[in-house]
Amino acid sequence: MGILNAEGAEEALHLSQASPEQAAAILALLVLPMAGFLLTGLLGRRLGERPWIIAVTAILITAAIATVLAFGALTSSEPMAVGFSLYTWIPAGALQVEFGFLFDNLTAVMLIVVTWIGTLVHIYSIGYMAHDPGKWRFFAYLNLFMFSMLLLVLAASYLVVFAAWELVGLSSYLLIGFWYKRRAPALASKKAFLVNRVADQSFVVGIMGVFLLTGTMDILDSFAPFQSVDPLVRNIVALLLFVGAAGKSAQFPFHVWLPDAMEGPTPVSALIHAATMVNAGVYFVARTSPLFASAQQAMLIVAAIGIFTAILSASIALTQKDIKRVLAYSTLSQLGYMFAALGVGAYVAAIFHLMAHGFTKGLLFLGSGSVIHAVDGEQDMDRMGALRRKIPITHWTFLIGALSLAGIPPLAGFFSKDAVLAESFLFGYSWVFVIGLIVAGLTGFYMFRLMGKTFYGESHVDPAVEPHVHESPRSMTVPLILLAIPTVVLGLLIGPVLESFTDSRIFGWLEPIFRQADEILGIHPHEYELLGIDGALILASVTVAAIGIGVGIWLFGFFGRRARPDVVERTTQRNRLTRALYRASFNKWWFDDLYSLVFYRFGGRLANAVMWFDVRIIDGVVNGTGSVTQATGERVRHIQTGRVQNYALGIAIGLVVMIALFILLAR
Amino acid sequence: MSHSLEAYLVLSVLLFGIGVFGFLAKRNAIAMLMSIEIMLNAVNLAIVAFGAFTPELAAQASTIALFVIAVAAGEATVGLAIVIAIYRNRRTPLVDEYASMHD
Amino acid sequence: MELPQTVPYLEWRWDDLVFLVLAGVMLGAALLVVLGRDIIRSGLWLVLSFAGLAGIYALLGSPFMALTQVLVYIGAISVLILFAIMITQSKAGPSQLVFQRQWWAAAIAAVLLVGLLLTAVLLTTFPLAADLVPQPARDIALLLFGDYLFAVEVVGVLLLAAVVGGLYLARRDPDMPETNRLGGPGGLPAGPAAPADEEEAA
Repeated sequence: MGILNAEGAEEALHLSQASPEQAAAILALLVLPMAGFLLTGLLGRRLGERPWIIAVTAILITAAIATVLAFGALTSSEPMAVGFSLYTWIPAGALQVEFGFLFDNLTAVMLIVVTWIGTLVHIYSIGYMAHDPGKWRFFAYLNLFMFSMLLLVLAASYLVVFAAWELVGLSSYLLIGFWYKRRAPALASKKAFLVNRVADQSFVVGIMGVFLLTGTMDILDSFAPFQSVDPLVRNIVALLLFVGAAGKSAQFPFHVWLPDAMEGPTPVSALIHAATMVNAGVYFVARTSPLFASAQQAMLIVAAIGIFTAILSASIALTQKDIKRVLAYSTLSQLGYMFAALGVGAYVAAIFHLMAHGFTKGLLFLGSGSVIHAVDGEQDMDRMGALRRKIPITHWTFLIGALSLAGIPPLAGFFSKDAVLAESFLFGYSWVFVIGLIVAGLTGFYMFRLMGKTFYGESHVDPAVEPHVHESPRSMTVPLILLAIPTVVLGLLIGPVLESFTDSRIFGWLEPIFRQADEILGIHPHEYELLGIDGALILASVTVAAIGIGVGIWLFGFFGRRARPDVVERTTQRNRLTRALYRASFNKWWFDDLYSLVFYRFGGRLANAVMWFDVRIIDGVVNGTGSVTQATGERVRHIQTGRVQNYALGIAIGLVVMIALFILLAR
Repeated sequence: MSHSLEAYLVLSVLLFGIGVFGFLAKRNAIAMLMSIEIMLNAVNLAIVAFGAFTPELAAQASTIALFVIAVAAGEATVGLAIVIAIYRNRRTPLVDEYASMHD
Repeated sequence: MELPQTVPYLEWRWDDLVFLVLAGVMLGAALLVVLGRDIIRSGLWLVLSFAGLAGIYALLGSPFMALTQVLVYIGAISVLILFAIMITQSKAGPSQLVFQRQWWAAAIAAVLLVGLLLTAVLLTTFPLAADLVPQPARDIALLLFGDYLFAVEVVGVLLLAAVVGGLYLARRDPDMPETNRLGGPGGLPAGPAAPADEEEAA
């Protein structure tokens, strides 16, 4: 399928039929994790001390196949796009849904992120979960998650995407609540699932809308018919889809579930809530870019929500004490960047940031897991400190991650963040740029606040724990090192190094995918001016990041420098305003309390009223029917006397009636 | 009167009614059987009466009535035998007591 | 058979008088059968009712039917009924209730039924001959041994089956000797021959 523009110049992705080898490889990507899940789930207990064998093997093979496929696609001279359909899932007249798969450069990029980080997390979990008696369950769920996520990025039809969407949510629920016997994880997993469910209602309605307007459930096929729909309707549908994506990717107002999801084991936080699942929303909006491109008002809202989430969560990250919470809010913030990029039309930048952030945040989370492991389960940074000499590998890799996240060249985070900011400025959204810049500064600050409290300065570690602080086993540190590599070199390899973003390799990979959307938006590449506007933008973002880092170091210490808690105290307590701001940030701007009030208290009263109605009236009718029937039966039952003479009387009466009728009717 | 069909039919109907009442109201099983015989007789009367007033079918009416009598005899035999058999078992000829089908 | 034309004093035809008498006897006896308290008396009234009916058959011009009625109904069936009554008699007999609890419903049903049937009968005009026609036995014989010969044979077999069945059903059961005694729980009603019969039957 291809679309010829009226000018005849551009054409959209030409989807060709996959070769049998490609189809088999794609199917293998799905079958292997599913098999891993089933086998580990069924045989897990019997595998004793090494239940991870099946799961890790499955995922290693999957990653290998994915890498081969992805590099095959990305290095080919022609932009590749193949697809195939496994079978017609729903053949119902007007509704024809194929269980089909799509593989193009965007898919390839997603596959790399998902499978590489997934593999490293699996290996990391071998060490991290070594003492947990339920680890067979853990690995089974991890494989289930991999299956769901891969299905999501490979799907060619909205309905299959939705099915995978829900599956991913299920895996997240199972993994967040892995330690289900404890109260907090159980509540957190429920919260995650419910919030996602609310957003998914909108998602489903959006999909239905797409089907009604375009007549097809196939993603690529829906682009062209969508253009001719009424603009208002296009915006509404796009917004509905975006709300669903916002739920999955924890954007405002659905951001409340992600910080609580940190109750799950750290590998879960790394894989699902940093590198893969939360990116599903971003991926979906990118995949359906032509739909959004033709709904400009919706795009605006996407950008607004994205950047708002970014600054909101960055502001909360400034004051959090739990190391994982800081990272969670940071994730929210970076996801906000991605949506802002999508909203302004900078699709490639958004995906580039997705990649870089995936590796960076994965590294940071696994590192935090290593830290927590070292201090025997403590997650409060107030009880850490001066760990850098005791857990050197963790420390150095963490430092690399922090620098990348803050956006310091030449690390990957710099290139991707700069791409997002620059593109938004160049497309004319200066408000997004300014807010994004502020967020960059905040990011630098809170990351190095984290570094200072955790690794530098004086040790506030619990004296009972302190003697046992040790570096993590190799199964945990090796993934850290492996993740640090792309964090350092990704930008250099595929980013715009001394060249225009549009000349970079990543751009070359992904541009064909977004060509259709670019056409609709009227976006054209611009001339690169390193010494002009582009250089200025780079300078701005690096400067702001450096300032943030500097303040963080000054207040919280760095290597030999000591922290200044007194300055921190004075600053935050200086006047009413600062105290109020500090409290607002610490309490997450009271969103959870607001939701609790609205949904729990008011919603609860509404639910009680409905329940009264249900119990009294509806159940009353049902039970009433039952008791009436029973009472009637009780009476009628006495006809069965068992005596023939009574039956004979009945016959006689019947005979009388019949004769009477006969006579009457014959007259 | 004796030369009009209606009279005989009225007679037959009245006799039949008596038989119906006896069948439904008596307690003794043999009394019920007697009532059945009364009803059969009523029917026979009607048949023969019709035959008497329909020359073409007169003989056939009597034949029918004859068969009815024959079968009634057989039925009375078997019925009474059953009553006797039940009586041997339950020591009573009263149908009120024959209520095994009651739940 | 014809009778004198009119009854003296009433100026009725003889047939009508005889008809009324016979009808009265028949119906009255039938009523006494169903309304009587003592089952043996009911059986005897039944015999009288049959006799009345036989007379009516004769009045209808069918002597064959009249004689058959007497032979079979009175001579065989009534005897059978009386035997059965005697076998199933019990000491506690006459003091028990004669009618079932549903007798009033039965009465209503019967009355209704009679009413309806009478309505039907009286309102219908039958295509009839002007007067009754006597039915000689000869015509009946011709039919029985002509067209309906097979039916006659079948009825014979039916009666055989009935007899065999009746014999089997009412036989004494050697495994349960206590059921073979005549009379109810108290034995036969007290009478001169009772004690000897009881000992014999046990």
